[in-house]
Amino acid sequence: MSSEASFGGALSGASEVAHRTRRLVLVGLVFLLPWVVIVARLWFLQLERGPHYQSLASGNFVRESDITPDRGRIFDAKGRVLAENRPSYDIMASPLVLFRNKEVPQLLATKLPIDRDKLDRLIAATQTGSGAEIVVRRDVPRDQVAVVETWKNELPGIYLRISQRRYYPFDSLAAHTIGYVSGISEEEVRSWESTGYTGGDQVGRTGLERWFESILRGAPGLERNVVDVRGVEQSASVANELLGSLRRVEPVPGQELVLTLDADLTQIADDAMARTPSGGLVALDPRDGSILALYSKPGFNLNAWSGRLSNEEKRRIDNDPFKPMLNKVTSSYFPGSTYKVVTAMAGLEEGLVNPKTEVDCNGVFHYGNRDFRCWNRGGHGEVNPSSALAASCDVYFYGLGVELGIDRLARYATEFGFGEMTGVTLPGESAGLVPTKAWHETHSDGGFQFGFAVNTSVGQGDVRTTPLQLALSYAALANGGSLFYPRLVDRIQLQDGTAVYEYPRKARRQLPFKPENIRQVMRGLRAVLDTEEGTAHEYRLSYVDAAGKTGTAQVRALDTARLDGSEALFADRDHAWFVAVAPVEDPRIVVAVFVEHGGHGASAAAPVAMKVIDRYFREVLGMDEAVTAYVDGSDRKRLHELLHEPEAVAAGAPPKVSGEPSAPMFRSPKEGSGSVPEVRP
Amino acid sequence: MKSTRLAGNRTRNVDLVLLFLLMTIALVGYVDLHSSANVAVTGHDKAHLIRLVVGLVAATAIGFRDYRFLERWAYIIYGGVMLLLLAVLLVGDIRNGSQRWIDLGFFDLQPSELSKLAVIIALARYFHDLGERDRLGFADLWPPALMVAFPFVLILEEPDLGTGLVVLFIALTMMAVQRISWLVIGASGLAAAAAAPIMWFFVMHDYQKARVLAFMSPERHLQGDAWQVSQSMIAIGSGGLTGKGFLKGSQVQGGFVTYHETDFIFAHHAEQWGFLGSLLLLGLYLALAWWSLNIARTARDRFAMLCSVGVGAFVFWHVIINIGMVTGTLPVVGLWLPLVSYGGTATVTVMAAMGLLTSISLRRHVF
Repeated sequence: MSSEASFGGALSGASEVAHRTRRLVLVGLVFLLPWVVIVARLWFLQLERGPHYQSLASGNFVRESDITPDRGRIFDAKGRVLAENRPSYDIMASPLVLFRNKEVPQLLATKLPIDRDKLDRLIAATQTGSGAEIVVRRDVPRDQVAVVETWKNELPGIYLRISQRRYYPFDSLAAHTIGYVSGISEEEVRSWESTGYTGGDQVGRTGLERWFESILRGAPGLERNVVDVRGVEQSASVANELLGSLRRVEPVPGQELVLTLDADLTQIADDAMARTPSGGLVALDPRDGSILALYSKPGFNLNAWSGRLSNEEKRRIDNDPFKPMLNKVTSSYFPGSTYKVVTAMAGLEEGLVNPKTEVDCNGVFHYGNRDFRCWNRGGHGEVNPSSALAASCDVYFYGLGVELGIDRLARYATEFGFGEMTGVTLPGESAGLVPTKAWHETHSDGGFQFGFAVNTSVGQGDVRTTPLQLALSYAALANGGSLFYPRLVDRIQLQDGTAVYEYPRKARRQLPFKPENIRQVMRGLRAVLDTEEGTAHEYRLSYVDAAGKTGTAQVRALDTARLDGSEALFADRDHAWFVAVAPVEDPRIVVAVFVEHGGHGASAAAPVAMKVIDRYFREVLGMDEAVTAYVDGSDRKRLHELLHEPEAVAAGAPPKVSGEPSAPMFRSPKEGSGSVPEVRP
Repeated sequence: MKSTRLAGNRTRNVDLVLLFLLMTIALVGYVDLHSSANVAVTGHDKAHLIRLVVGLVAATAIGFRDYRFLERWAYIIYGGVMLLLLAVLLVGDIRNGSQRWIDLGFFDLQPSELSKLAVIIALARYFHDLGERDRLGFADLWPPALMVAFPFVLILEEPDLGTGLVVLFIALTMMAVQRISWLVIGASGLAAAAAAPIMWFFVMHDYQKARVLAFMSPERHLQGDAWQVSQSMIAIGSGGLTGKGFLKGSQVQGGFVTYHETDFIFAHHAEQWGFLGSLLLLGLYLALAWWSLNIARTARDRFAMLCSVGVGAFVFWHVIINIGMVTGTLPVVGLWLPLVSYGGTATVTVMAAMGLLTSISLRRHVF
C-alpha cells in the first residue's frame, strides 16, 4: 500500500513517531493520576473506614425490635392471679422509612387520634437512618387496629405489634399492695438507659409492682430482622445468613410473686369496711408475721391506672379528700388507746405496778397546773392493770406515764417496734414516731414539757404508729413475744412455678419482757372483749376467745372539748382503732383496723375487726360448720380441735411457724438451686 | 478491492488484548447487573445481555469495516448528531427534569451519547486534515473549539452536566496530543478560570448547583442527592477488603442505593467484591484506556490515532467521573459506568466505540 505514505495524516518520519509516542505516554500518565486518586479513595472507604461503613450498613438493614419479657405474675396465697398480662396492640413506626416517606405522619394523624408533634419528636429523637423502631401509640383499641390494617399500604413504616399489658383481674382489690404499672416517661428512658429500659416499657409505680420491679420485669429479648429500604422484612433465610445466631436473643420472663395475702380475706375486709369512707385494715398470722390482708380505703382501679388513665379519673382521685393513692396501713397516725399496751408493759416491767395495783379513777388527772381528763368523765373508780386496759382508763395510764417519764416509755415503744419501719416489702412505709425528751426539745414549741409524757402514755401527743406496726406488736404479745418481720411475699418463683426464693419466717426480735407480764397484758386485752366493762364487749364472738384493744385517737388538741362523732366536722373527728387477736390461746389471726375520722374505736372499728375475724374462721379457714355446731351446742369439740390442734387445721391455712430467731435472713429454699434474686431489705 | 485482499490476515490481526479486556469487563458488568436485578426482579439483566450481544455483533461489524468511511463521513455524522441535539431540546421526552431522549418507538435515542462519538470523529478529522504542524495557534484552534462548544452548550441545556463534561474531557485529551502553542494553553486556562463563575451564575441549573453544594457539605444536605451518595458510600465502604459476596450486598440488595442498576451500579460491585474487586475492575478500565493509547501509537494515520485517543478518553473519563461520583469524590453529575451500567444507548455507544478501536487495531499494520 504505497499510496498510504502520501496520505495526509500518515506518519512522516521517525521524529513524528517519537513525538506521537511521547505524547501518548504523557496522556497515559495523565490517566494514571485520577485513577490513583480513585483507588486511594476506595482504599480509604473500604479499608480505612470499612468498619465504620459496615456498622452504618447494619444499622440500615437491621431492624431491632425489643421482645418484651412476660412480666412476672402475682398470686395470692391460694394461687389466684392478682396481676397478669393480656395481649395488646401497639402502633409502631420505623423512623428510617418515615424519613423517606414524609407524608406518612400527616396521613397517620388524619386517620388516628395521634399528636403529630409528638410523633415528629419521637422520630427526630431516634437516630436518623437507624433501623430502630418507635412506639407511636400503646395499647390501641380495636377500631384503631382496624384502621392501621386497612391503610397498611398507604402507611409504609407504620405497623402493628402485639405486646402485653398488665391486667388485674380483681380491679381494685388490694390495689395499694399490688400497685400499678405505667409507661416509662421520656425522662426516665434517658436516666435509666444503662438498666436497659426503652421507650414504651411498663414500670411498676406503687406497691409490689414497684418494690419488686427488678424481679417482676425480667430481661428484654431482642429480635433483629433484615429489612429493605421500605422497612419491609426480608425473608428468614436472608436474615439468618446475614445475622446468624445474633438474630434473636430470647427474653427472660420476669419472676413471679406468690403472696401470703388471701384475696378472699381482702374482699371480706372490703365488705367489713363498707360503711367507712377512709381507713385501713391489716390481718396477719401472729405465728409467723404472714400478712393475710392488707387493705386501704378508698381504693383505686389498678386497670384504669395501668392503662390510659383518663384525665377525669386522675383528677377525681387527686382531688379526693380521702387520698385514695395513700396506703393507709403503712402510713402513721395517732394510735390512741391501742398504744396503752406499751404503757402497761412498761409499768409492769419497771415494777411500778403489779397485777394487783389499783388506782382510783375519778375522771380527771391533775398534773402540774393542768387537768387531763379520762374519756369517761364520771371516772372508772378502782382500776387494776387488767381493767385499766379493758375499760381503757386514761387516768390509770396518765399516772403511769408520769412515773415512767417519756424516755422510758419511748424505750418500751421501741421494743414493740414502734418508731421503726417494719420492713414490709412495700414502698413508702412510714416509721411512725416515738417521741422522746430529745425529740421534743428540737421539735416542740417551747421545748420539752412534763405534760408530754401524760399524752404519750395514752397514744396521744406526738406518737404516731402505722396500722401494720400495731398489728405486728399485738401479734408479738399474742404469740408470747416474737416480733416478726411482716411476710407479704411468701416466695418468688419462676414462670414454671419453681421457687427461687422463699421469704423466711423471721422474728425481728424477742420482746425482752417477762412472760408473766406479757400474759398479764394479754389478760387485760382479753378483758376488753370478755368483761362487761370491756370497751368492745358487745362485739365479742360467741365461739372464740379474742383479745383486743380499742383506740379513739383525738385529732384535735387534747384540751379541746371532745365532740361526739356526728356533731364534729369530719376532719376533726377522732380516728377509730381496734386491734384484735383470736383465739387468745394458739392465736391464728391479728386484725388491726384503722378508721380515719371514724369516731369511737369501740363502735366504728371493733365491729369491723370482729367481723373480719369471724368470717376468717368461718369462710377462709372453712370452719363455718364447726362454728355453727359450736354455737348451737351440737358439737363443741370439733371447733376446739380445728382451732387448737394443728393437724386438724383446714387445708390451705398457712404452715406453722418454724422460724427460729437465728435463721439467716435470706436463704435459698434448695441448696444450690440457682441464684438468689436481689431482695431489698 | 482492498478489503477482500485484507481478508486473509484479518482474523490473525484481531486485537486479542482488546477483545479480552472488553469481554472481561462486560462479564464483570453482567455479574453486577445480575445482582442488581436481584433487588427487584425486572429482568433488566437479561435485556442487558441481549444488548451486549447485539452491541458485540455491531462492534464486530464496525471492526471489520475500514474505519476510513468514518473519516469521510465525519462532518456529516457530526452535523446529523448536532441536529438531533437541537431536536431533543425541541421534541425530546422530559424525564427526571431533563430533556435527553427522543422516542423512536422501539428505542429511546439519547443524542447526547452519540455526540461523544461525533465529537471524537469530527475532531480527529479536523486535526488529521490539519496535518503534522507545530505550535497550533488560535487561528487553527477556533474551529475545533466551536465543534466542542456547540454540543457542550446544547447538552448542558438538556441538562446533562455529566455528558457535557465527558465531551469536554474527551476534547481536551485529544488536544493533548497536539502541538499547541503555550500562549493558547495559558489563555485557555485563564478563560476557563474566568468562565467558572459565569457558568455557576448563568449556565448551571439549580439542581446542578445543589449537587455541588451537597458535595461540598454533605451533612447539610442529608436528603436527596447527598442521601443517595451517602448510601452509596455506605455500600462501597462496607464491602471492606473482600466484599460481602455475590448477592449478599445488604446495602444495595436492601434497596438503599437508588439508581443501583444504572449510575450507581458500582455500589453493587464494590459491596459484593470489596476493595480487591474494585481494584480489579478499575485495573481493567485503566488497561483498556492504556491499550487504546497503544492502539493509537501503532495506528497507521493521524485520524486513527486521534480516534483511538478519543475512544480511550471517552471510556476512561466516564469511569473516573462515575466512580468519583458514587464514592463521593466528585459531585453527582449522572453518568453511567461503561459496559456495566444498564442502558441502551450507553451500551450501543460504547460498543460502537470499541468497534472503531477494533477496526483501527486491525489495520495497524496496513501501510
